[in-house]
Parts: sequence; structure tokens; C-alpha cells
Amino acid sequence: MDYGMTLAFVGAGLAALMAGIGSAIGIGIAGRSATGVLSEKPERYGQMFIMVVLPGTQGFYGFLAAFLVMLNLNFFGEGGAMDVSVKLGWQVLAACLPIAFAGMMSAIHQGKVCSGGILMAAKRPEMAFKAGVVYAVMVEVYAVLGLLVTMFILLKGINWPTPPA
Amino acid sequence: MNNEQRTTNLDFYTYPSVGTDDWCYAFETARVRALELQMFTRAAFLDMANAENFEQAADLLSGTEYALPGPGEDFVQLESILLLRRTAARKIFSDLMRQKSIAELFKTRDDFANLRLALRRTLTEKPLLNDYSDEGNVSLDLFEQAFTEDNYELLPTYMQQAVEQAVLAYYQNKDIRQIDFVIDSFQADYNLKEARRLKSVFLIDLFGIQNDLTGIRTMLRLKFTESHSNVRPEQVFLKGGFVEPELFEQALELGYESLAPLFFATPYYRIVEAGASYLASEKSFLRAEQQCDEHLTGFLKSTLQITAGPQPIVAFLLMKENEIRNVRLVLTAKKNNLDTKLIQDRIG
Repeated sequence: MDYGMTLAFVGAGLAALMAGIGSAIGIGIAGRSATGVLSEKPERYGQMFIMVVLPGTQGFYGFLAAFLVMLNLNFFGEGGAMDVSVKLGWQVLAACLPIAFAGMMSAIHQGKVCSGGILMAAKRPEMAFKAGVVYAVMVEVYAVLGLLVTMFILLKGINWPTPPA
Repeated sequence: MNNEQRTTNLDFYTYPSVGTDDWCYAFETARVRALELQMFTRAAFLDMANAENFEQAADLLSGTEYALPGPGEDFVQLESILLLRRTAARKIFSDLMRQKSIAELFKTRDDFANLRLALRRTLTEKPLLNDYSDEGNVSLDLFEQAFTEDNYELLPTYMQQAVEQAVLAYYQNKDIRQIDFVIDSFQADYNLKEARRLKSVFLIDLFGIQNDLTGIRTMLRLKFTESHSNVRPEQVFLKGGFVEPELFEQALELGYESLAPLFFATPYYRIVEAGASYLASEKSFLRAEQQCDEHLTGFLKSTLQITAGPQPIVAFLLMKENEIRNVRLVLTAKKNNLDTKLIQDRIG
């Protein structure tokens, strides 16, 4: 495998890995808070569920970015992956960084916000959506921005070579 | 800035810092938040205080965890229910507290209480009896063995030193109060030392507040009984609070009306002002006790800003114990037909 391809795979790997780690930590935090409340108030399951799964979206964004890289490199196509120059490899790696870092950090912090929202929902169920979910979505915005930048670079900024016939 | 300096610095307005989040405690904090929903509100206590008699006040407990098993039950049964609830709250605290040294630190409260009782009985040559709390770190068998054999080396180091000092202090003038002063002082020192070892800002601040509130109570009691000439102030007022012990010593020399201005620059101004004026007019510590409880509860409630950490779990334990004390207090007052206004003054 050449150097360019390695860089591209590092980029794709980082996008999926870091955003995935962030999501796992975020869900872990929110999930622990939710189980704490549910151990005393099982009837609150519905309100807790959305706040537990929200930090999981960043993992999907990272996976989507990695998938786009692999798709454009003809990873799944006939003839196998195309040749990647070192320059292209660096471009792909750089393109993956926004969702990798924004995804990881926002997922961890979203988990903390969701944890706070879950505690609030335990005491004031009427505020579960108004404050708990809405505030968590505010954090999500920055992961979406990271994904958009990654996608713009991958889809519009890079001149992908033609796949082998 | 070291911890010793920190505890004597008044760098806050009403309540000191409660520290920061510790995300290992996400589950435990959430569980405590859910449990807090079952706690009594002030309105519930006022309803009990306004009840016509003991039976009516006890009826208000039906549907709560303090409910009596059947109608017409007596106060003894209620007392056993309150003890059961306290044991349950302490068990929840021990189970949820990940740092076992914090759980053990709070268990030493029972060790020191047992020690105080046993020393009082031993030094005044009364029977040792066996009505001690079994919720401490030291087992009752070991405790009994240490006192019956006069072998205090069986006890943990912090208790051995307290015993030695308390015995020496008592025999200086055979004043029973010296035992309490020495043990209070050892307990306060031990708490702060452990809090610093655990590097817990919250515990350092909590024990600092408790020492200050004990100082206010002691100062008012000494003033009221006019017995401050019989004790050495440096021995009576606990160190390690946010207020220097010298301030309490100074307060002993002033009249009730001058106490509040002396504490104007401290967070305890309102407590001293309300407590001293009530004491001067009603000859009662009710308001001072209520204000002290309210101040401590206010600090504990400020742990609401912690989403995950040991602070809400400690706060839950102390607030639950306070709730149990208040239930007992209101029902005891009702049982003894005390005036409703007095009960209201005490619960605030």
C-alpha cells in the first residue's frame, strides 16, 4: 500500500474512531445518569431515552465521513481501490479532521449536557424537552458544522482520480 | 495557596465552593436526585406543626416512608421507624459513595458519639451499659472490650488520642463539659485532616461551616449561661472554620445587641442577628438552631450545581438526617403539647 493511500485511510479511520470514542463516552455519561434516575423512577424511561441517544449521532457522522472517503477511493468498487497520490492522501486526512475532533469533543460535552438534562427531568419532567433536549441539540450543531466542512471538502474540494476501468 | 490558609479565607459571599464535577458519579448522583423527590418539603413540616395534636400530625405521615403501621400507634414505634429510616439512608450513602474513605469518615461521627458517651459514664463511675450506636467504624465488641479492659490501644489512633486528652482535661477540675470540648476538637481536627488528605474542596468547606456553626452555638450558650469565665475560650472554640476563634472570644465580652455587627463581615451575620435577638427576648436558642440548620442546608442545596460527584451524595445524607431529626422534633413537640408557634420558630 502506498503512502498516499495510508494517509487517506488514517483520515477515514480518525473520523470514525474519534467521533465514535466521543459518542461512546457521551452515551456512557448520559446512560449512567439515566439508569440512576430510572432505578427510582422507571416511569421516566421515555423522557430519558432521547437524551441518552443524542450523543450517539456524532459516531454516525464520523462513520459517514469515513464511508464517503472509502466510496470515493472506490474501496467497494470493481478493480479495487484506486492509486492515491501523497498530495491527495494529505487532502483526505485534512478533510476528515473537522468531524473527527468536533465530533469527539461535542459528543463528550453533549453527554454531560444530557446528564444535566436527565437530572432536571427527574425533578421537573415538564422541562425535559424544553431545556434538556434543546440545550443538548445546541451542542450537536457544532458536530453538524464539522461534518458539513468535512463533506464539502470531500465532495467539492478534492479532485478524485477516475476509478480504474 | 495551601488548605490551611484557604479555610480561614472568607473569599465568598454566603456559601463557599462545592468543588467540581466527578463524572464517575453520574449514576450515583442521578439516583440521589431521584431520591430527593421523596424528601419532605417545608410546607409538609408546617402542616405537621399546625396539626391539632400528635395523632393528627402522625396521620400526615401516612403515605410517606415514615408512616406508622397502624392507627393509634405510639411514639416508641415512631422512634423505631425513624431509626430504621436513618439506618436506611446511611446504607444508601455507603452503597453510593465510591470513595470508601469518605463513607468511613462519616461513620466516625458515630465512633466519636459512642466515645463521648462511654467516657462520660466511665469517668463519672457509672455503668458502661450497651446502648451505643453500631453504625460506626469500630465494632461494639471491640469498643466494649477497650473500655472494660481499659485498653484503649484497641481503638483506632484518632480515638486513642481523644481518650487520653479527654481524661486529662476532665481530671483538671472534674468538669464533665471538658470531655465534650476535647472530643469535639479532636473530631473537628480529624474531619479536616481527612478532607485535606482526600483533597475534597467540598468536605473542607463543609467541615469549615460546621465548625463555625458549632462556634456560634457554643458562644451563645456560654453567653446565656454566663459560664464563659469558667472555660478557656481557646479550648472551647473549634479551629479550622472560616471565622477565626478569636472572633467568638471577642463576642463573649459583648452584649447581645453588639453581636450581629461583630459578624457583619462574615456569612453568619443573619444567623447571629436573628439568634441573639431571639435569645435576648425569648430566652431560647430555637431561632439560632433554626438559622444554623438553614445555613447548612443552604450550603448542601448549592450542590445542585454538581451534575455528577460525591457532593450531592454527602448532601443527601446530611439533609435526610436533618429531615429525620425534624420529624422527630415536630412529633415530640406535638406529643408534649408545645405551642405551635415554638415549633414554627424552630423549623423556620
